[in-house]
Amino acid sequence: MIEADRLAHASRWRRLPLAEKALLCLGLLILAMALPPWPGAVLVLLVASAGAVISGLTLPTWLRLLAPPCFFILTGAATLLVQVSADGIGLAADGGIQAGLLLSRALAAVAALLLLTVTTPMAELVQGLRRLGLPVELAEVTMTTYRFIFILQDTASAMHASQMARLGGDGWRRRIRSAGLLAAALLPRALDQARRLEMGLLARGFDGSLRTLMPAQRVRPWRLAVIAGGLALMAGLSLWI
Amino acid sequence: MHIMEGFLPAGHALAWSAVSAPLVVVGAMRLRKILRDRPEARLTLAAAGAFAFVLSALKLPSVTGSCSHPTGTGLGAMAVGPAATSVIGTIVLLFQALLLAHGGLTTLGANVFSMAIAGPWIAFGVWKLAGKLGAPMGLAIFLGATLGDLGTYVVTSFQLALAFPDAVSGFGGAFAKFATIFAITQIPLAIAEGLLTVVVMNALAGRQIKTEIRA
Repeated sequence: MIEADRLAHASRWRRLPLAEKALLCLGLLILAMALPPWPGAVLVLLVASAGAVISGLTLPTWLRLLAPPCFFILTGAATLLVQVSADGIGLAADGGIQAGLLLSRALAAVAALLLLTVTTPMAELVQGLRRLGLPVELAEVTMTTYRFIFILQDTASAMHASQMARLGGDGWRRRIRSAGLLAAALLPRALDQARRLEMGLLARGFDGSLRTLMPAQRVRPWRLAVIAGGLALMAGLSLWI
Repeated sequence: MHIMEGFLPAGHALAWSAVSAPLVVVGAMRLRKILRDRPEARLTLAAAGAFAFVLSALKLPSVTGSCSHPTGTGLGAMAVGPAATSVIGTIVLLFQALLLAHGGLTTLGANVFSMAIAGPWIAFGVWKLAGKLGAPMGLAIFLGATLGDLGTYVVTSFQLALAFPDAVSGFGGAFAKFATIFAITQIPLAIAEGLLTVVVMNALAGRQIKTEIRA
């Protein structure tokens, strides 16, 4: 089970047209990248968080989703704190400010992207990419990959549980061995699964495309205009301050 | 190592996307040709992609105490060839960015270059070269996977150092900083990935599984 995916299907914004959500979230992402981190990134972070809460997430859930990326960004930003010179290593003069600015920009960008993924199921995103010109073959491979992920994840976690129950996690050497055996057992299973699916589909006249129905959504131009206006307002506000 | 969303300045993000895009498009065109001839190959490819995604969620013990995950690029390059790996890798990186908030859309180009292009080609090259020089199969696989993994980290350090040069010593100092941090965590991890790949390839050879899509 992938949390962002589960949340997307349960989201209050699930039925909203993709164009509206994409404009909001990708717009926020662009603002996070283009505006000066203070106050632009902070504004983006606040708006994305508000959007997440309005779309049905509780604040603790949202923060829990943001925490792992935040940790990765922190470890990366920490390198800006030090500087290397001929005399050796020392603290950078304005390293703290640099790292803080980088942290806020990256965190705002992550929040903007995360808002898109917790409100929009993957099938819709891939259809959006398809409309933007992704070749049909690649769209199909992408969607099939997505479907396989959940099957394989269940299999892998069952394997992992049984390995651990048999002391497979006892010591470094055995953990490497367990991980290797798991991967080695999983790959043939994945390929077998693909073969069985392929035979089943061929028997039903598979021509290479798997079509699925999407709930029809009508894009309302006034809502797009409101979102665009809001984004412009944010940009203006943070450039003005 | 994934570069997180928003971490690279806009100019760098665009430049790395421009570098990666043609290479992925070439891989995609080759892939389309394979798929047009054999529509059923898409299921095998999808299974391989999902496998890489699940494998990346696999926790590997690392000496520094932290757990990290294998990149799987070496395995991919040896099993299906580096060109197909670049496309599957891009799909996997997209899913990691969207579903796990690991990596990102703006940094997708940079991540694709280090993990779906540089890593697989290094692994593939080293593996072939070691084989030609007469190294035993296990050693060739180990070297390919380990150096492929290390290669991705060197490339990532390079990308980060370009984006964040050191205030005093410039690019060189920044590269040393990033590479040192990675070296502590990633050299043990690269060795772990090398060993892991040998275990996987041995087990697969024992089962006589033949992967169908060779680039």
